[in-house]
Amino acid sequence: MAFLGQEEQIREFQDRFTYLYAFLFLGFGLLVSRLVYLQIFRGDQMRQFSEENRIKRMKVAAPRGMIFDRNHQLLIDNRPDFDLEIIPQYLHESHLEKQVFGILGRILKMSEKDILTTLDKGKGLPTFMPLKVKTDLSRDEVAQIEVRKLDMPGVEVREEIKRTNVFGDISAHLLGYIGEVNQFELPIVNKKTQKYRLGDSIGRFGLEQKMEEYLRGQDGEDIKEVDALGRVKLEKKKNRVLAANAGKPAIPGKNLILTIDQDLQQAATESFGDKIGSVVAIDPHTGEILAMLSRPSFDPTSFSRGIPATTWNKLLNNENHPLRDKTIQDHYAPGSIFKIVTAITGLEEGVIDESTIFHCPGKIKIGNRVYHCHARHGHGELNVVQAITQSCDVFFYRTALKLKSVDDLAKYAILLGLGRKTGINLSGEVSGLVPTEEWKKKRFNQQWNAGETATVAIGQSFVLATTLQLANLYAAIGNGGTLFRPFVVKQIESFDGKILKSFTPDIMSRVELKEKTVNLVKQGLWGVINSPIGTGFAQRLPGMDFVGKTGSVQVIRIAAEKIYQRCETMKFKDRHNAVFVGFAPVKNPEIAVAVVGEHACHGSYGAAPIARAIIKKYLEKKFPERFNDKTLAHIKTIPVKKAGTDDDEAGTDEEEITPVETGYEPPLPPGSLSD
Amino acid sequence: MTHSSMETPFQDLEMEAARSSVLVDEELKRFNWSLLLLEVLLFAIGIWNLSSATGVQDKALGLYKSQALWFGIGLLATVFILLLHYSILSRIAYVIYFANLILLGCVLFFGKSSLGAKRWLGIGTLRIQPSEFMKLSMVICLAKYFETDQNYSGYGFRDLFLPGLLVAVPCGLIMLQPDLGTALIILLTFGSLMLFMKIQPKALIAILTIATVTLPAAYKFGLKPYQRQRLVSFLDPMSDPKGSGYNSIQSMIAVGSGQLVGKGYRKGTQSQLNFLPEHHTDFIFSVFSEEHGFIGSMALITLYLIFMLNGLSIAYQSHDKFGVLLALGIMIIFFWHIFFNLGMVMGLLPIVGVPLPYLSYGGSSLVTSILCVAVLTNIANKKFMF
Repeated sequence: MAFLGQEEQIREFQDRFTYLYAFLFLGFGLLVSRLVYLQIFRGDQMRQFSEENRIKRMKVAAPRGMIFDRNHQLLIDNRPDFDLEIIPQYLHESHLEKQVFGILGRILKMSEKDILTTLDKGKGLPTFMPLKVKTDLSRDEVAQIEVRKLDMPGVEVREEIKRTNVFGDISAHLLGYIGEVNQFELPIVNKKTQKYRLGDSIGRFGLEQKMEEYLRGQDGEDIKEVDALGRVKLEKKKNRVLAANAGKPAIPGKNLILTIDQDLQQAATESFGDKIGSVVAIDPHTGEILAMLSRPSFDPTSFSRGIPATTWNKLLNNENHPLRDKTIQDHYAPGSIFKIVTAITGLEEGVIDESTIFHCPGKIKIGNRVYHCHARHGHGELNVVQAITQSCDVFFYRTALKLKSVDDLAKYAILLGLGRKTGINLSGEVSGLVPTEEWKKKRFNQQWNAGETATVAIGQSFVLATTLQLANLYAAIGNGGTLFRPFVVKQIESFDGKILKSFTPDIMSRVELKEKTVNLVKQGLWGVINSPIGTGFAQRLPGMDFVGKTGSVQVIRIAAEKIYQRCETMKFKDRHNAVFVGFAPVKNPEIAVAVVGEHACHGSYGAAPIARAIIKKYLEKKFPERFNDKTLAHIKTIPVKKAGTDDDEAGTDEEEITPVETGYEPPLPPGSLSD
Repeated sequence: MTHSSMETPFQDLEMEAARSSVLVDEELKRFNWSLLLLEVLLFAIGIWNLSSATGVQDKALGLYKSQALWFGIGLLATVFILLLHYSILSRIAYVIYFANLILLGCVLFFGKSSLGAKRWLGIGTLRIQPSEFMKLSMVICLAKYFETDQNYSGYGFRDLFLPGLLVAVPCGLIMLQPDLGTALIILLTFGSLMLFMKIQPKALIAILTIATVTLPAAYKFGLKPYQRQRLVSFLDPMSDPKGSGYNSIQSMIAVGSGQLVGKGYRKGTQSQLNFLPEHHTDFIFSVFSEEHGFIGSMALITLYLIFMLNGLSIAYQSHDKFGVLLALGIMIIFFWHIFFNLGMVMGLLPIVGVPLPYLSYGGSSLVTSILCVAVLTNIANKKFMF
């Protein structure tokens, strides 16, 4: 068999076997060292990876705390909603992805691209984290998905909670809304002790945001063993790798009991109609907010499960700012509402008293400028009570001119809660503005001039106040000078009804007002509503001693010849803001209400009717034996003397207002104040 | 024994039968069983492991039974081969080669597809994969080619052209299926064998130069997109962990999570819960490694090493050039299979479909391994006969 020379060749071959063995051992050495590296050096880590692979921790979402009004009427509820989630880990093969997206697309009527876009949100996150594809699935969609589940590894339907505002857009700003934590926020929110995960709900606005720590529950966890297709292993299956795993139950969030009365909210909403503006009602004894409304509004329910960008942008860019809480986030010139601050300052500082009488010819010249009264031909002679009742501008110009400086006005304004935040536990509150000489110097580097003090005295110029501040101001006057810090949350309860925390009234400041001062101001306010010459006579509530002050505030600088132009003939955005603040009953008020109607022209009819509706509702409800149609029947209704007397200040009417006789004493309210 | 090329296997058979019983006894005493024993041992481990890998997985349930059937077929073939003399292979080397080539051609036309590749020929209910057999045929053919070739100063570039062509044709056909792994094994085997046969430095440099120039082009035009992706994800598996890097990562996790003693038989979570891809074929070692840990894996690797050493010593002790080259070629095939498969499973090498001998599921692969061992055993035991 041997060929010539073969044996030498074989011997030569045999010499080369050394290399072969060397190569063989080198190769196997390489494999062994890799084995050592993987199993010995990185074994622990790899073991952990494999555990994470198979054990799926499923979040059991804890229901958020619910929110009730003061009478335990449910305002914010948790209602079931179905979500579609995809766990990208299971779609590592492109043909699987295609198949799953195809089926899903048909069921959900989404394009593959849309699904991919939603999945792209999770780029950079571990692939075992579920990503939400669609929320608010219909029952039909849920059924179809469940049927085809075997063809769609990694696809899951999860029952979620839809945060529902039971009354739709009522109280939207107060209650607020929730959103999902996104990956940019995660590191920020997790700085606190509570741990959030992607897609968790978090309060974004209003009480939902402010009371997050109470409302948020503690999520539970369900631990399930799954295979690579995300299918949960059945208990009975043999050779289960995981014996048993205990999860963790979810603990619901705490419930809030508000100071709000939903009946008042509804009464306010109804009477507000489609106006733009806000309402705040306060209990003057405590500072509890009874009603708080901002219009136009939105339905936070639609926010709770994500909202399309277009809808959001529409809300955001709406010129009437439906997303702003106009009760605390916007401030307005208070106009005539401020006149009682001027009256109080004058009376307390002693520059005027109950017998001081000023003549109102319809205008007054200060320096080189003429300052008009809203009554073109003037009010004639009047005292402080009549001046408030008729909202005479000239009276307060003159009072202001007697003061040492604008700082005197500022002192009382600030004591009564203007120009500073109330500190209500809601986000975005603005402080408003009470100008001082120092402020102007700082802001404009200009000296204060007397004319400006006059305009401040009638609540124009630089003065700004929020609706909440105005309500609180009148509440403080109503109770004789105690300024409470307004609050909306009365109690925090555990999910099973145990009271965990009660909030008690907190006094911001107490103004030491002379009893006479308070009485004079109240008399003036009484006349506004209850005297035929008052600016709000049409809104009287016989027997309830409803008192208040109207205001119509210019929003643009109006040329002198246009001052008396009829408000309704102007462009909407140029029309006056209608403001009304009042309380009832006058002696020991149970409720104070402030209403701002943007561009609603007149405080008397653009704002006062809303306050009236709320007050009527409240008193009838709280004191059914004192205030009902029967008990009030014997009280004589004061007839309206003349149509048009309820027309208001700021020159909004072309008709002349007949100047009243001087010395007219408005009747004291029942249960005389002066005793 | 004669050199007559007219001799048929049957004449050989008769001659074998005619030998005296004394000789047979003596031969049995000296018979080299070592490789056969190792083979049975490895297969036993393989089937035991396979039943773990496929037992829980519904669709592949009971695959180990058909694997056992293939083993039986392989053993029958072994008995048949042991009755012959391997020099017959030298005579019919080209017949085998071309027959196999025709089968490869048939695959391209009549082949059955699975997972996007056309690699199988269906014969009744059986499916065979001619590319697996091509490895052995190739080695037989090369051994035959170089048997009569006299060369003392190393092979030049021109000398390599014809054998190169012999390798290139089946490689091309296999690449068309496509089956990158098998083609790679054949090329590596050829290359290793040629290095062993000594290549002139000039030629070596020339080949390396050509390879450097053509490889990028081959990467661009010769590989399917998924194959390219595999290479990319090998270089950086984290570049697409849920996509093409998934297999590699899951496999490394499986091996690593076995730690020192493993998770226990049938308790490997990576495979039992299907996180491991292809865990009954190419990734079978990760199943074993996950469940039996470093100790088990080392034992298995040691077994393979003993197997390799045994095989190489048969090549070393062979008395004729054909025997040396054939035995060596076969062992080189084994080596690259073991090295490439384990390297791939442990993330050392890119993922190309290379089965692990005796452990991976696959009839043709198993039968080929058994045939190889049969031929080796034949070589080991016929060396005293002249």
